[in-house]
Amino acid sequence: MPRATKVWFAGGAGVSAVAALLLIPGQLALSADHIDPPARTDPAFDTTPDIPADIADIYAFHDATKFYLILTFGGPAATNLPAFYDRDVLYNIDISTAAPGTSPEVAIKVKFGPGSAPGEWGVSVAHVPGVNGDIVGPVENVLSKDGVRVYAGLRDDPFFFDSQGLKESRAMGTIRFDKNRNFFGGKNITTVAIEIPKDRFPASGQLDVWATTARFGGQI
Amino acid sequence: MGTIRFAASRRALTAAAPLALGMALAGCFNGGGDGGGDVSVIPTPTPTPTSTASPSGRDVSKCLSQVIPGTDGATPASLVIPDTIKLDLSKPSGFPNGRGLEDQSPDILLAVLFLDVNAPGQSPATFANLPLNPPANDRPFLATFPFVAPPQGTPPLAPGTGTTFNFRSDPDSAYVRVDREGQPAISTAVIGASLKNAYNDANPVNDAAGLFAPEIVKQLSALHDGLADDLTALGLKVCSS
Repeated sequence: MPRATKVWFAGGAGVSAVAALLLIPGQLALSADHIDPPARTDPAFDTTPDIPADIADIYAFHDATKFYLILTFGGPAATNLPAFYDRDVLYNIDISTAAPGTSPEVAIKVKFGPGSAPGEWGVSVAHVPGVNGDIVGPVENVLSKDGVRVYAGLRDDPFFFDSQGLKESRAMGTIRFDKNRNFFGGKNITTVAIEIPKDRFPASGQLDVWATTARFGGQI
Repeated sequence: MGTIRFAASRRALTAAAPLALGMALAGCFNGGGDGGGDVSVIPTPTPTPTSTASPSGRDVSKCLSQVIPGTDGATPASLVIPDTIKLDLSKPSGFPNGRGLEDQSPDILLAVLFLDVNAPGQSPATFANLPLNPPANDRPFLATFPFVAPPQGTPPLAPGTGTTFNFRSDPDSAYVRVDREGQPAISTAVIGASLKNAYNDANPVNDAAGLFAPEIVKQLSALHDGLADDLTALGLKVCSS
């Protein structure tokens, strides 16, 4: 089944065109997590790459009062492409708050769903500590509920790295990095950001944070 | 990026992982390398030079076990096994204590995995200070939530309207895993092609049990085989031998 039947793009771009524009197959060798695992997300290795389920990066940081999570996926994407919202993908942001740091005491679930009008998409964020029920609202907005804020939408890809340099360093056995070559420059990526009051987590001790994606009904 | 702040305890690396690391090291130096395509993680259909070269088998055990200065005893091994971002909310934010948008996490990871970061004149920030890779994003981050810069170009955007949306309500069991990420670049850089799907299907509990420690040692050793001489020529002290 062509994945175009399963994936909803905000801009209605054809899936093959999207895959072709998104990247040159095999060009991106090494990154944060973009286009990995290749057998599922790289057009060079998979005729039906699961771009919406392809995690690019997970960030976790804090300031004086807030804890922030930022998950990016579906990229790096050319700047003429829409966001990759897909009703069939489940995004898990897992946080372990206690030793040994491998089981998620906090298991945040993010989903996307189409709205009633053409092109409308909403985001649902579930299981955020201290939030009564799910945080639900349209993408491209900052949503607030019970002291937590959520944003989902298309943004600049925040990752910066010379992927070509690492690829060449591996292949040639010599240092090939170039500080002026950013593979992710001039690219966009679909983004979910969550702001949570720090006092909903242990004041000290280690948090372990990771992200996973899963597709309804199996991989494409 | 002059200092690295990290307060993770040593608990991140379970008792099982060092054993697996030791076993992997033994395997590496008994000619256990298969020399096959799985040495390379580059998604290209043709083998790379390093994938067929006979590895000299540099010992990377010190790279994984060296204490990262500025942390509370964290090591590269404890940082990446299990493959999670570690964050202590009572300590200043900044990779490897958490991962912020502006952090030069690739250069810091490369430094702690390749250099003796306790040698005179060297630190986890050695590469970041050069820098080795681009030191900042091409668009400034926002000072306020959601921090990430607006999209570049003029992409079509969803209207940002609506009040009712059609979300799936199926149980988690109806979904099949596609991807996993904790620390940046671990799956992409030190997990070989033959194990990539398994790694992305696994969970931190599997990492902590040492399931992928032999692979990480093998891949890191292969990287050192190729790059240690260049780093040494640059006047740097590598962590492998």
